[in-house]
Amino acid sequence: MMAKELFPEAQELRKGRIRIETIKDKVTEIIKKLKENGYGHFVMLSCVDWIKEGKFELVYQMWSYEYREHVMISIKIAREGDSMVTLRDLFPQIETYEREIHEMFGVNFVGNPRLGEFILEGWPHMPPMRKDFDTEKFVKELYYKIPEVKEE
Amino acid sequence: MTLNHDDWGKVARMMSKRSLWMVHFCTGCGAMEMPPVMTSRYDMERFGMHAMATPRQADVFLVTGYLAVKTLKRVVQVYEQMRDPKYVIGFGSCTINGGMYWDSYNTIKDLSKYIPVDVYIAGCMPRPEAIIDSFLKLMDMIDKGEAIGWKKYHKYYDQYKKNQRMAYAYRLDEVEDIKEDDAK
Amino acid sequence: MVDFFALGEQILVMAFLVTLGYAIGMFFNGFARKITARIHNRVGPPIYQGYIDVFKLFGKKTNISHGWIFDLAALFSIAGITLVFLFLPVAGFSMLSTDGDLFLILYLLAIPALGFALGAGASGNPNAAVGIMRALMTMLAYELPLVMVIVAMMVHYNTTSLAGIVAAQSNMHWAIFLPVFLIGAIVADMALQGMLMEKPFDIPIAPHEIATGPMVEFGGKHLGALMLYKMMGIVVETTLFVDLFLGGGVILSVAQYGWLAYVVNFLVWFGLITFVFFLALLINAVFPRFRIEQALKFYWKYDALVALLILIWIFVEVST
Repeated sequence: MMAKELFPEAQELRKGRIRIETIKDKVTEIIKKLKENGYGHFVMLSCVDWIKEGKFELVYQMWSYEYREHVMISIKIAREGDSMVTLRDLFPQIETYEREIHEMFGVNFVGNPRLGEFILEGWPHMPPMRKDFDTEKFVKELYYKIPEVKEE
Repeated sequence: MTLNHDDWGKVARMMSKRSLWMVHFCTGCGAMEMPPVMTSRYDMERFGMHAMATPRQADVFLVTGYLAVKTLKRVVQVYEQMRDPKYVIGFGSCTINGGMYWDSYNTIKDLSKYIPVDVYIAGCMPRPEAIIDSFLKLMDMIDKGEAIGWKKYHKYYDQYKKNQRMAYAYRLDEVEDIKEDDAK
Repeated sequence: MVDFFALGEQILVMAFLVTLGYAIGMFFNGFARKITARIHNRVGPPIYQGYIDVFKLFGKKTNISHGWIFDLAALFSIAGITLVFLFLPVAGFSMLSTDGDLFLILYLLAIPALGFALGAGASGNPNAAVGIMRALMTMLAYELPLVMVIVAMMVHYNTTSLAGIVAAQSNMHWAIFLPVFLIGAIVADMALQGMLMEKPFDIPIAPHEIATGPMVEFGGKHLGALMLYKMMGIVVETTLFVDLFLGGGVILSVAQYGWLAYVVNFLVWFGLITFVFFLALLINAVFPRFRIEQALKFYWKYDALVALLILIWIFVEVST
């Protein structure tokens, strides 16, 4: 069954491109249902920082080789004090995306045991992909302040 | 700076400039420009240059392109594994001032703050002609005894180490509890 | 009473020959790179590049060592290969040659490789361990056909002395002119390819897989000594081939022509080893690398089978 038939509330952006906006409690159920109905490929999990709304948008992307259809499941969670449940039991590759998003945005995925240091080694500051992290200021205060080697 | 050069060293420099063995650290996009330099179009073996498989055997260290802090640790390790005299060529704008990564939170901007660089090649990307030209420049510098980066590294070792530690820790205040394998 | 004058003269001649051997080895290094470059349609380094490389390596500083075994291993290899060189008849001129020296040479050829293995083992690098394992496996592989061909030659010429085999081939009665040993020479040339560690049998030092294998931790002076060993190895192995199949390069009899014969024979010997090495380079430049089990299969299945047929042929020929 195609995604449109499964979820009537889904909006079709164009042919083969479905977007489902939902809340975080329903995500596990939706993805499980899609997996059972021919959407066997979990493409990726990405994160967008909507700083004015104070929300992180998590986008789960799935693809069906059968229907050649791309489904995006989008949820929004609060920037501070909120968490998402891990989906690593459904697709094991989600674990890696969750680790990356945890490191770059600081989103907490409950139930994922490997959330820790991933790409950055020994990063002491706030997660660098958040919009309130001022990259330019950080760079100017670190890399450009490291002194040249003085020669006598 | 006064560094004494004896006559034996002069002969050794004359020989070593014609037999530069290179290890290229190709994590950046600069790796793409190396195959034409090595193969029949621009053939760097004309100058006795040769790509080696390990840093122990090499004389020239070619750092191609941008370096993330994580990569910098490996670069420093490779550099310290090489045997003296050793020379570093910084390849492309990224090693000079960060290039297009000038405001990236995770790439270092100026390679010469962390290891001594003898020759820089500007450009994004430098053409193979520019690479060959930098090799000739390096040979010229070795012949005149100007390529003394490895001596500088010995002399100002604590300054270089301090800068490296600042970058590793992403903080300006020096951090002492650096891991043992990073200090090597 | 020891004849000190004769002894001194012999030592001087030996020293001269060993120096000449190393000089030729270093020349071969540049020669190999130049020929390979020309085949690749490149200009290539100057032909004296080998001398520059060795000199540069000995001029480098040693800031890393892995213990005294590591330091002495390269010397061990050099001593072993020099000893083999002294036992070989070079252009019909043998320095330490005795009866039964062919067995001795085959035995001694393993010593430098063991020195190499010791040094690589002391360096503690996993790539070196893999490389050494591969080197010993390749040695095991190519020695079977080589020894079979050599035994066939011993039976045919009824001597176990390499100098005897060279003497039996004088007056241009080279072994390669006999049909059976023409095939034998091809078999031995394949084994030589493995001995020289040229492609397709450069499995031990595969630079793209295991970063030059046993040499991975060697640099500076250590690497210089190892390069000298490898260069001398080329001279020794090609000379062994020339002695066995091409009459050792002897075309003029010393008794008849005196000093002129020495000079001419040396030049012919040099030309022949250069030619044999050149053949190996041509194969090296166009072939990719075998895996270790493919090399074993090649040597034990095809090369050794042909060598066995040669051995049977020779035994039948002798017994009838």
